[in-house]
Amino acid sequence: MNEQKKLQRMIETYSFVIYETALYLDTHPRCHAALEYYAKYNARLREAVEKYESRFGPMTVFSGRNCEEWQWVKDPWPWEYNA
Amino acid sequence: MWIYERKLQFPVKIKNPDPRYAKIIISQLGGPDGELGASTRYLNQRFSMPYRDVAGILTDVGTEELAHVEMIGTILHQLTRNMSAEDVSRAGLDAYFVDHTAGVYPQSAGGVPFDVKYVGVKGDVIADLNEDLAAEQKARVTYDNLLRLIDDRDVCEPLKFLRARELVHYQRFGDALRSAQDQMDAQNFYGWNPAFDKMHHVKKS
Repeated sequence: MNEQKKLQRMIETYSFVIYETALYLDTHPRCHAALEYYAKYNARLREAVEKYESRFGPMTVFSGRNCEEWQWVKDPWPWEYNA
Repeated sequence: MWIYERKLQFPVKIKNPDPRYAKIIISQLGGPDGELGASTRYLNQRFSMPYRDVAGILTDVGTEELAHVEMIGTILHQLTRNMSAEDVSRAGLDAYFVDHTAGVYPQSAGGVPFDVKYVGVKGDVIADLNEDLAAEQKARVTYDNLLRLIDDRDVCEPLKFLRARELVHYQRFGDALRSAQDQMDAQNFYGWNPAFDKMHHVKKS
């Protein structure tokens, strides 16, 4: 697995962990253990996204960087078999 | 994947509730040319769209349409807030009220529930993009018709914004069609469908 795929997999994993925790926190907003868990993985996600975007291109239309060409429509879309 | 953001694309704050307006604006939620059909159409067409830039337009416009679904829902909610049973009857919203109270249910102005038949996905590059161009124009006409019937600035301003977006989307789909044709065989656009006939996928030079 190349570096880009590895980072993608990490982002997918951290995002899922955060989403799952968010659903739980929606109905348990004072659970300290869940809040700490959320904060830990949110920090990891930010770091991974920062790393990915600085090397491989934007994850969202709002995360583009200053560049010569609009990268958004150049990278593979996630539904492509070879993405 | 999507993430929800706690904001509207354009502000909606309607001082005077008026369920008569909700009764007609509801068509832009669940009617034949409404926002729900628009987002479903574009987000589903993406999968068979072989050109990344065109798939990008479908992704980004389809995503914006989801924000428009939310704006229309907000308008309907604010127009029907604090209604009395008498308000409901006077506005002619009684039939809707019986089934949905003051809930936001996707249907047309004529009361027909949202139907996926409004969503065109042919799996053909030229057919799908022409479907989208027509859809944007039909939605624009619906907003024009609503603006003719509504006399309240708080309601008209967000509707005018949405009408303007239909025009922008029409222009972007026009660009998308041009880009797709640039990547197809200029001798015969209809001889093959690059969304299916992969053999001819490469542009002839």
